[in-house]
Amino acid sequence: MAWTGLLMGLIFGALLQQGRVCFNSAFRDLRLTKDNYTFKIVVLSVALSTIIFHFSAQLGWIKMNPAAFNWVSTILGAFIFGMGMVLAGGCASGITYRVGEGMTTAWFAVFSFGLTAYATKKGALNWVIKGLSKFDVRTTYAADSLYAPKTGVTVSSVLNINPWIPALIFAALCLWYVFGTKTTQRKTKINWILLGILLAVVSGVAYILSYKAGRNYGFGITGPWVDLFSSFLNAQKLNWSSLSVLGMVIGSAIAAIASKEFKLRMPKNPMTYVQVLLGGFMMGFGASIDYGCNIGHFFVGLPMLAISSIIASVFFILGNWTMTYFLYQRD
Amino acid sequence: MAKYEVTKTLDVMGEVCPVPDVETKRALKKMKPGEILEVLIDYAMSAERIPETVKNMGHEVLEVVESAPSEWKIYIKVK
Repeated sequence: MAWTGLLMGLIFGALLQQGRVCFNSAFRDLRLTKDNYTFKIVVLSVALSTIIFHFSAQLGWIKMNPAAFNWVSTILGAFIFGMGMVLAGGCASGITYRVGEGMTTAWFAVFSFGLTAYATKKGALNWVIKGLSKFDVRTTYAADSLYAPKTGVTVSSVLNINPWIPALIFAALCLWYVFGTKTTQRKTKINWILLGILLAVVSGVAYILSYKAGRNYGFGITGPWVDLFSSFLNAQKLNWSSLSVLGMVIGSAIAAIASKEFKLRMPKNPMTYVQVLLGGFMMGFGASIDYGCNIGHFFVGLPMLAISSIIASVFFILGNWTMTYFLYQRD
Repeated sequence: MAKYEVTKTLDVMGEVCPVPDVETKRALKKMKPGEILEVLIDYAMSAERIPETVKNMGHEVLEVVESAPSEWKIYIKVK
């Protein structure tokens, strides 16, 4: 069933590319240009995913498996990741789909990101995770719950209430923001509401297929890049996770070529490559110690109402705004 | 091609996000009313985003020309 990872990756990559869905832009534009267009796409998608994930878990198609919250590394890692994505010129999924568009800076960024994540999860930097893991907060769920038996804390586990209550309130608040406030206009290929719906559906189906393949999580970027590097370096068989990220790159490339948007893009100032390498390093390190990137936490973890993902999302945005200020707003 | 009397040309081809947007804004700030800025760009997301941003700044977008596959020229008149 690992091949379904490739299939879902292909679709996801093509959607991200054609829809220009970059979380770095989504967060940054809110402040830099007071533009909420891309942010609304991802918030709409998160709201719908919340319903889809809970519904799928209710029917027994998945078990929600949110990442552990860590008092130190969720905050620290997310802030470092948030700053890193501004330097790298894209979030984890953003640099991944831009690889397929021919953005050469993104090629350097993903190498730096993937290698650093590999080193932090399995190599020379792993002592950081080991040292901080004592601050992890996990909990045990009953066998018949919507959650995996031992997993990260969520709003419902902390408040000891039915998971559907915070889920419905959260989804309603997101939808109120999306449809109840003014949206910045932009001429794009795909209508933003349709795009938000498509992303949520693809994310939900991906979670179900990934669960069937024995991997209990939805889309991710950091873990999948580590798995892909691991397959490459250690001659391991490709799994759902590594195939999904490979699919995203290929899907984006196909979409870009088909729409005549593929082009080898190179910045005039070579220092940009140094900047994106540093950004990729910060993203790989940050997303490994906080157990997730913008996809693992914001896109998939928030809909499960994981405490880790809620805190991480806040610090992604704060890190993003901090680095945006230093790079682009001081003039 | 000399459809507009371009005062300044800004080449942001190949730059990472959001350098095209930021450089456009910085260039516009230095220009005088009535002058025309030509932005050469090959990054689709910014090509879609810049027209709305500069309109919100009060400037006029004269035209967005697709000069080659995935390459655009944006003409902005400073207000």
